[in-house]
Amino acid sequence: MAPREGSNEPSGTPVPLEKGFATLATLRTGVKAWVHKDGEYRKAEILAIQPKKGTNTYYVHYEEFNKRLDEWVRPDRIDLTREVEWPAPEKPDKKKTQGAPPKAQQPQSKSDAASKNQKKTLKRPRSSQGGTPEVLTDAGNSKSSRPSRASGKENKEVTILAPEITDLATPKVEDEEIDLVDVQDAAAAAKAAPPEEYSREEEIEKLRTSGSLTQNQTEISRVRNLEKIQMGKHEIEPWYFSPYPVEFAEEDMVYICEFCLGYYADVTQFERHREKCTLQHPPGNEIYRDDFVSFFEIDGRRQRTWCRNLCLLSKLFLDHKTLYYDVDPFLFYCMCIRSEHGCHFVGYFSKEKESAEGYNVACILTLPQYQRAGFGRLLIQFSYELSKREGKLGSPEKPLSDLGLLGYRAYWQETIVDLLMDGRTDANVEELGAITAMTTNDVLHTLQNLNMLRYSKNQHVIVLTDAVIEQRERQKEKEKLRGKRVIDPERLQWKPPVFTASSRTWNW
Amino acid sequence: MAQRVTGQRFRQRKLSTKQSLPVLRESEVDGLVDDEAQRHVPRVETGVEKAEETEHHLQAVISASAAAAVGGKVAQLYIPTPDVVQNEKQYDKLYPKAFKQPATYIRTSSTVEDGTGCPYTADHSDFVFLKVANQRNEKLKCTVDEFEILMNSFEETAASKQPYAAVSNAPVLSYDDVEAAMSDEVPEEARTFAKVVYEHWKSRRVANGNRSLSPSLKFETNVETDDADPYVCFRRREVRQTRKTRGRDAQATEKCNTLRWQLEQARDLMRKTVIKVQTDHKALLLERDVFLQRKAVREMRRTLNIKGDDDDLINQKPAQKPKPKAEPNMAQRGVPGLGVKTPLPRADGRPFDSDLLSLQDQKARKKESITSFIDDNLNKHQDWNKGYVDMTWRPITPPLEQSLKSTFRPAIVVALPTPPASEEGEPMDIDETTVGKRRRDSFDVQYETSRVPPWENPEKRPSFRRRTGRGGRVMIDRRGIQRDRDNANEFYAPRAYTSPSHKESKSLYPGQRALKRSFGDLEMYDRPTAKRQISDHDAHRTFDRFKYDRDSDEDEELYVIDPHSDSHMKYRVLMERSTSTLQLRRSQGGQPPGHHRSASGQHLIPPPA
Repeated sequence: MAPREGSNEPSGTPVPLEKGFATLATLRTGVKAWVHKDGEYRKAEILAIQPKKGTNTYYVHYEEFNKRLDEWVRPDRIDLTREVEWPAPEKPDKKKTQGAPPKAQQPQSKSDAASKNQKKTLKRPRSSQGGTPEVLTDAGNSKSSRPSRASGKENKEVTILAPEITDLATPKVEDEEIDLVDVQDAAAAAKAAPPEEYSREEEIEKLRTSGSLTQNQTEISRVRNLEKIQMGKHEIEPWYFSPYPVEFAEEDMVYICEFCLGYYADVTQFERHREKCTLQHPPGNEIYRDDFVSFFEIDGRRQRTWCRNLCLLSKLFLDHKTLYYDVDPFLFYCMCIRSEHGCHFVGYFSKEKESAEGYNVACILTLPQYQRAGFGRLLIQFSYELSKREGKLGSPEKPLSDLGLLGYRAYWQETIVDLLMDGRTDANVEELGAITAMTTNDVLHTLQNLNMLRYSKNQHVIVLTDAVIEQRERQKEKEKLRGKRVIDPERLQWKPPVFTASSRTWNW
Repeated sequence: MAQRVTGQRFRQRKLSTKQSLPVLRESEVDGLVDDEAQRHVPRVETGVEKAEETEHHLQAVISASAAAAVGGKVAQLYIPTPDVVQNEKQYDKLYPKAFKQPATYIRTSSTVEDGTGCPYTADHSDFVFLKVANQRNEKLKCTVDEFEILMNSFEETAASKQPYAAVSNAPVLSYDDVEAAMSDEVPEEARTFAKVVYEHWKSRRVANGNRSLSPSLKFETNVETDDADPYVCFRRREVRQTRKTRGRDAQATEKCNTLRWQLEQARDLMRKTVIKVQTDHKALLLERDVFLQRKAVREMRRTLNIKGDDDDLINQKPAQKPKPKAEPNMAQRGVPGLGVKTPLPRADGRPFDSDLLSLQDQKARKKESITSFIDDNLNKHQDWNKGYVDMTWRPITPPLEQSLKSTFRPAIVVALPTPPASEEGEPMDIDETTVGKRRRDSFDVQYETSRVPPWENPEKRPSFRRRTGRGGRVMIDRRGIQRDRDNANEFYAPRAYTSPSHKESKSLYPGQRALKRSFGDLEMYDRPTAKRQISDHDAHRTFDRFKYDRDSDEDEELYVIDPHSDSHMKYRVLMERSTSTLQLRRSQGGQPPGHHRSASGQHLIPPPA
């Protein structure tokens, strides 16, 4: 499948791509080759090579695909009849692109070079593992959005910040007919993405000072380290790297206790643990309960072990989460469904005890085994209910993951359209925000995204488009059929926790 | 250039978020969408990382929804995610159905550590070892719990004693080491297996490069190398510095103290509760014993056919208690609205008056308790100070020196009133002598009156001390002596007159003699000093010697005397009184014995016939 069209990126000096035919013997990490995936050949970068039963297996990242689809492939899936792109030799000159431009049809952008460049330093220690930093770069490569990848100060001069608002993000009429609510399952967030990137040092500094759990774009992508996890009734393939003990990388299966979230590589040990483990629900206070779910509030400082276990687990499914720093400054709101076994952990979102940027969610995740069942929407709604109780406007930390964006968009759309359809004749953006605890920006984003904000007869108007209305009606019908699950604010027994200066001083 | 045209047609306003915008249906708006107008609406970013915004599947979903907006029907799209497989085989075995939902919201603060038992969890190889070891040892079986406790103890010891064992290649701890460090938490039964388990632990440690047996997360060890290591996680965030102040320190200390106090109280309470429960338990056991014994007695009586008093077979105590008496009162008291209640007689039947306390008694008791308290404290303090010497150069509070008080003995001076004129009508040379009421610890000194009557200034009362100096010399110290030149003269002069051995004693005026006779007793008291024979000449020399032995000449010379001042008036009154006493005595004619002898034992006057 051809990569998505239209990289309108500002092309810098076109860099010659080093292309050529390769053999299995000459394949090395950093090479981009054509790999068979789902019935087609896609260009993919080799991130790691590992011998297995006499032949090498290759860990590849498909361009234009999310990292969660990275995988180990056997050599027979690599099409060696087509030319591969060789990784560019490292050059001292920062301005020159070194990388092989991934796209045949488009020249490599300067920014790409820059970002690669910046990775040089990081690359070395990793090369042994086979994970290469280029993954993200390449993914971004095709798009105009590339420049944002540039990191570090040295990159700033080089980087051309593309005015990259592309077709996609712009206010297109986007009345989705699909049930986006179902798609929204996992979301990750990091610091608000500034136009330019941070260097690693900046990033760490930022983490240090503002205490986010999420990682930055410069964070290298890695080879997934766990093969499979077993949790509760499910066996799950992890999506991303998570810093579980190093030894676990060699295991076929890691067992995770559904209640304490402890991790074991040995089945016997895990079974023994289950004999001893007495937890039946997340170790905190239940603050919400309805017929379907319960929410527990857990303080990262008081339940360090549990929260660490939770973070390790969620890192398996959140790309942008970082575990660089400890869990102390966060509260974790965990959603559970109940059975006679106990409260099964379904999903959670974390929240800074004090967010300087006014975020009401740091990381948000529905475990994969519970995705596409509407839990994400409940989580999001719950986060806004908390914000309403606090009397604040909130927004999720950025960047969002793809799934996160879809989930939030669906929730925002539903909320705002519902509000506008209550018969009012006029509304202003701030008021909409105040009612829903959404930030003005998010309201604007939603309105724009649905092409509801227009200019007519000398003034701005909010238009309830037919498509939006139709979509909403359809959704309501569905809800009638399936029953709609919402958070009932009445059942929330919660006061915003107050943290004293001393608890912040001593424990962060 | 269409833009410009539109721009000319109307001015675009910026979107205000505060302004109310009309909500319209699509049919109510012109079909023409003014693209340019959109530019005046600030662009909002999606929030997705730029690199990922373009990802294939996300774009697919977004364009699908875009297509749907136009009216096309699109199949539901999902962003593909890796597989999840359901596998319930073992679930019910591993997760028991033990959860009962409480009616109220769950509140808990126990941690994972609280809920997962021993931190060490046996794995496959451990179970294999245990099985083998237990087969070998028929009698004693090591349970998994005991095994885990032991292993945990070893692991913890190793972690604390060799934190860098994996790096430093240190040898695995010896058995003695781990045994010594075994805490009380290891039960006795488990200790019997310690040696065996240790061998197993050691072999596993060796195989593992002396690293911890349970895989652990990587925490930061060295900032430099850690940064690039993706496995290092959960670093400590930098601690925000607090300003350290004395107040904060004091506050913290106080909090700690309070906390400790409270904990101790709690512990004490627990201890007492335990004691109480134990006592209760004992009491119950005793009661049961009693009951059983009684039962036995009853059986015995029945079998032996003894008929008699069965009173001792039941608890008589309640009946014997004066309770029944109190009970009607209780009932009476219980009736509400009875108006004035008559004072109830005491339980023992005595009237209330009988034990009324008198105020005096009460006060006396109180006073006694206060004095005894003070005395106690005084003794306590003296006990504390026993054996300690105050070496302070100049103690703020001078220590109580009881010895000093006793060594200096005050000389109580009573000025003699001027005697009445003698028969001879000659003027009196001496108009004042001393009269003393002897105190136990004082002696009287006879000397001429000072200008200021001694009672005016009791603090400065002259006093003397005898002490033994070097070489056994005896010294007399004095203090509080006040005199001026004239006084000094007079001070020594009388000695000359009074001393019987003096050559010029004959020259004593008759009146003087009479005086001497009447105050003969004085001379006796004067004996210690009088032993020194002072000649007239000597007296002058002595005076000369002490000429400058005064604080200040000038000060003492200037006296302003107000004859009407209180002190002088008192003085005069006293004079009169003593005169009358004198007369009284004389009229009685009684002379104290021995008065007729001078200090030296010589006859001054023949005893009256």
